[in-house]
This record gives sequence, C-alpha cells and structure tokens, in this order.
Amino acid sequence: MKYQVEKKSAPGREEVEVLGATFEEGKPEGEDAGKWRQKLGTRQEKLKYLQTGEGYWYEKE
Amino acid sequence: MAEAETKSIDNASIRMIEKAAKDGVNTAFDRAEAMKPCPIGMVGSCCKNCGMGPCRVPLPKGGTETPEEKKKRRGICGATAETIAARNFIRMIAGGAAAHSDHARGVAELFLAAARGKAPGYEIKDEQKLLQLALDWGVEIGDRNNQEIAIDVGETALAEFGKQEGELLFLKRAPLKRQELWRNLGVAPRGIDREVVEIMHRTHMGVDQDYRSLLKQGVRAALADGWGGSMIATELQDILFGTPVPILGKVNLGVLSRDEVNIIIHGHDPLLSEMIVVAAQDPQMIELAKSKGAKGINLAGMCCTANEILMRHGIPLAGNFLQQELALVTGAIEAMVVDIQCIMQSLPDIAQCYHTKIITTSPKARIPDAIHIEFDEHNAMESAKAIVKTAIENFPNRGKNIDIPEEQSDLVAGFSHETINYLLGGIYRASYRPLNDNIINGRIRGVAGVVGCNNPRVKHDDVHIAMVKELIKNDVLVLQTGCSAMACAKLGLLTPEAAAKYAGEGLASVCEAVGIPPVLHMGACVDNSRILMAATAMVKDGGLGDDLSDLPVAGAAPEWMSEKAIAIGQYFVGSGVFTVFGVTWPTLGSEEVTKLLFEDFETMYGGMWAFEPDPLKAAHLMIDHIDQKRKALGIDKARERVLYNMEMRREL
Repeated sequence: MKYQVEKKSAPGREEVEVLGATFEEGKPEGEDAGKWRQKLGTRQEKLKYLQTGEGYWYEKE
Repeated sequence: MAEAETKSIDNASIRMIEKAAKDGVNTAFDRAEAMKPCPIGMVGSCCKNCGMGPCRVPLPKGGTETPEEKKKRRGICGATAETIAARNFIRMIAGGAAAHSDHARGVAELFLAAARGKAPGYEIKDEQKLLQLALDWGVEIGDRNNQEIAIDVGETALAEFGKQEGELLFLKRAPLKRQELWRNLGVAPRGIDREVVEIMHRTHMGVDQDYRSLLKQGVRAALADGWGGSMIATELQDILFGTPVPILGKVNLGVLSRDEVNIIIHGHDPLLSEMIVVAAQDPQMIELAKSKGAKGINLAGMCCTANEILMRHGIPLAGNFLQQELALVTGAIEAMVVDIQCIMQSLPDIAQCYHTKIITTSPKARIPDAIHIEFDEHNAMESAKAIVKTAIENFPNRGKNIDIPEEQSDLVAGFSHETINYLLGGIYRASYRPLNDNIINGRIRGVAGVVGCNNPRVKHDDVHIAMVKELIKNDVLVLQTGCSAMACAKLGLLTPEAAAKYAGEGLASVCEAVGIPPVLHMGACVDNSRILMAATAMVKDGGLGDDLSDLPVAGAAPEWMSEKAIAIGQYFVGSGVFTVFGVTWPTLGSEEVTKLLFEDFETMYGGMWAFEPDPLKAAHLMIDHIDQKRKALGIDKARERVLYNMEMRREL
C-alpha cells in the first residue's frame, strides 16, 4: 500500500509534506476481493499477525 | 392453500413438490405424511439394546402414575425409563460425534498423505493456519519448511483420535475457567474414539444404569466432538483448501442450468469435491461437454459439501437437505455425486424416473442401485475426472420433462472466526473489541447460533426463517451453519442489505458500519467449531465475563433431525450455552432425564437445553436468556457517563 502524502502550508514555512489519509478502497473489486489473508506475505508477517490479531491465543505476554 | 404450500415456505421447493406428485415421484414429504413418528420411540421410551426386548416403557396415558406403577415401568433387564431415555440420548450423541469425527479422521489422513507428498493435487493452501496449529500443539516451527511442519501437525491430529489418557489438545483454546470446570466435573475428553466407544459400552445391556452418570459421559463425548473431531476437521480443511473469506454466492434450485451439464455435489466432505471443482474447469472436460451438445459444465452443491465449496470457490448452492430429492425432480441433473452423511437412500429410485446418475464415492457410504466411483485420495484427480466424464456422457440422455424453478438468491458466505476478527478490526488491529463494545453499549443485544437440519415433520425452512427474523429484529446478531444458513439465505437474510430491511436499529447500524450481513454464514455443520472459537474470542477480549456461560449468547436448531445435531447441541450446552431445539425432543419419556438436561445442567455447566417447537416462542426464550446474561453482567441498562475530575479520582 502506498502512503498518501499531502502538501500543506505551515506557519513560518512555505509548504510541508504531511502524511495523508492512507486506507484501502472500501469496495475492492476483482478476483481477489475479500481475500484478506493474502495480504500477509512472509512467514514472519503471519506469525506476527497471530501474536497480534489472534493474540487471544498466541500473544507472548 | 395448495397442499404443497403446507410443506415448504420456499417457492422453488413447492413447485418441485407439485411436479413430483405429477411425475409419480415419492419424496420425504410424502413419506412423512404417510408414516407418523412412533410415539414411544419419539420420547426415548423404547430400548432395543438386547435380544430380550425391544422393551417399551411409555408413560401411562394422562402422564401420571403412582410410585408403585413407576417402579414397575421397566424393561425386562430392569432398566428404568430414566436409564432407557438416557441411554438412547447418549447413543445419539455417540452417533453424531462419530460422524463428525470420522469425517475429521479422513481429513487428517489425507492431510498427512498430502504433507508426505503422497496425495498429488493437494497442497498447503493456508500457511498461516498451519502455523496456528503448530503453535497450538507445540510443533516446532523454526526454519522448518511447511511440509515438515505439516507432517508433525498431521501426526498430532491423528493421535487425538486414539489417545487413551490426558485430554484433547484443543481444550486449551477454551477460556481457562471453562477448562477448569470440565476438569472438576470429570468431563474433559481424553481421546475422541475413546469417549464414543465408552458410550457404546456403558449403554450395553447391564452396564451403566444411572441416568446422571450416562448423561455425564454424553457431555464428555459431545465435547470430544466440538473441541475435538469437528474442530480438527475444520482446521485441517482450512489448511488444505484455505480459510474462508467473504464471498458472494447464490442459492436455490434456480442455479441449475438449462443448457449445461448439471452436476450436484452432495454430502459433507470437501476432499473430493475440491477436486471435482478443478476437474469441471478442465478445458478437455468442457470440450467434451460441448461435443455432447451442452454449453458447458455447471457445478452446484447440496447440503454441507455445498457450504464447503461455496465458501472457498463461490460454487452456488442448489439447496438444503430437503431439496436433494427435489433437485432430481427438475429432470435437469446429469449426476448427483454423494460423499457422506444426510444422503437419502431414495435418490437412486427417484433418479430412475429421470436420467440422473447417482454416484457414490465413499467406501463408507454405499447405496444400492447407485454407480460407485470410489474416491482414491492418492489419485484424486483421476477419480474426479471419471465422475465429471460420467455426468457429461449422460447429458444426451436428458429427457423433455424438465422444469427448473427460477428462484435464486444472493448471499455472502465465508465468515470464518478469523475473518470476523479481521473485519471488525482490520489487519493491524484485528479484534472482537468492536463486537463486545456494541454488545456492552446495547446496540447488539447478544449473539445467537442458529444451525442444524431440515425436518419434514415441520414446514421446510419456515421455522429457521421465522426464528432468525425474530432474533435480528430484536438486535441479536445471528451466526449460522449448515442447512439453516441455506434456509435463511434463500430469503436474502445473508446479505448486507438485509440489515436495513429486517434487523433492529442497533444491529442494523453496526452491520452498516462494518459492512456485514445481520446473519453470518460460518460454514458447514462440522464448522460449528468456528462458533465456539468466536464465542471464546468474545470472552478473551474482555468485558463480557470470564467464561462462555457468562456471554449473552444462545443456540438453536429449530428444524433438527440428525444425531449430529444432538451432539452439536450437547457440546454447546457442555460449553455453557443455552440451546433450544424445535420439532421434537427425544427424552420426554423420562421426567428426571429431561429435568436434568433442561434445568440441572444450568447449575453444573452454566448451559442447558430447552425444547420449543414454536419458532417465535423459541426466539424469545433465547432473547430472555440473553437479557438475563446482560443483567448478570450489569449491561442491561444505559449508565450515566461521569467525567471524573482529579478530586473525584483521589477519592476513588
């Protein structure tokens, strides 16, 4: 996912880059619509998700 | 009202019931009318466990008896009505637990074969779920590849069936308080097969003759199903075929095609049907279909195999249990491929009236007069292609007596526990917190699992739909599996739009914010284990008590008919969930047994059974129970929110 960057004027400076709203489209289309598990690519990402998203069972603390 | 309209609420089914009558086809609806249930067997008062009987011990007419008369109401071996009712009841649990668990064993065997590279065509599709099971079962992950991990996971899964001591590994997924309760009551299952076998032993003539002891073993075996066999089947299927995610599908007989080869896959086991899905897309097969005059191949599902392939591939659902015969009556089915469970023996007879070929595929489920093409897991694609080819070659035999109803509805399926968790919080904050918060603030009153079969003793689909509409109208979020989900899907309750149309204001607002239907399709009947996981996540997230029995939740199977439904109901009750069944209740022949199940279990397990055939009354029993739990949690009233200043805090 690409971060959205907006340019805004700031007091005492001309323009600064600000991180804008970064989100996925609400209505994904195409064959992959809804296939959220594919967003987790590597094994490390999957294990990390288990510790956070499924932390009820798998968090370490 | 036309006669057919008294039998089903679904227009497509009504039309096919009428066509069946015209075609001289005898269906379950006709048989149910011609044969009334045995009044003694219906209430569990008939024992045929030995050659001295069968013994009938019904209550006297009027239902009252003196203590002396009651003492005499025994079988030849001396077994009382209590013992007989309890034996019959837990044998139903054993049957149901065995069905789910033997299904799971088949999945585990294939899983292990696939991990060892001995089942071509099968692979690990969901690495994350594999890692999850490895963490659950203490299987080393490290730098090992998926195949190595899968072999250990598969061997651990298979060992759960024959384990003799200790307890099932998945029990550790339950809330800690619930685990403790099971251990204290002595119902934590040791091994899956052991608990089922022990029921068969205890219910043999002259063994366990205390109904309390018998029912305790019933709970233990049921838990071995829910937190054992069923959960293993669900999890390993997810690893092999993918954990379900939301998918748009269609349901009802209107999904059949007039100009394509129609193949219906019916039963409960996705092992073969996954391969048939692939085989039906093979260009050679499509070419062959065209060479026979068809425009292509149209796959559709029936019963729970349908739920499995819908959730993972979007294959449409032709219908639920009572539509299996009616699908043949359309005259447009080239082949109905069946695997295991809930398959009517009448199918080959009906198929003879048309051109349909009934193909059995499991060595455990043969039917006379059906074609048998055995599913060989080591050569699965060949089996699948042989089946698809048989169907295609039957297309030219299609007759002219064809009537495909137009009815078909949209539904969104695939709400696995993991997907609900993700939808509520997103990839970085996946959580049940929004659900719990909305239960606490009262927008959602509670959660109900409405599951189970169809039963021709009641109007097809009507009871499911009436109950679920009443629940969502009263802001109860409904989780569904099996034939119940299909019934409600036909009315459009499983679409996000249904929230605005049918749900109460609070539930509708949450559904709209999250973008989910008010009724969530969680899979096949073996996937009721997903509901256990969702409920456990609610407990673990906090704010709703520290055990499943504290949650404002309830369960129901309003059109139940199978032993599997009794096993499911019992594992929900044993897990602390109030559960209402409709249609009939199999222990009414014994007041004591029924009281234990309907009252005393609440004190023991924090969950109990109830029987109420009227769907609206049953829905209100569930809502009342949910309200009681809300009251016990202190979330039954809106509370004034006070912003504490420093002085007030110091005082605290």
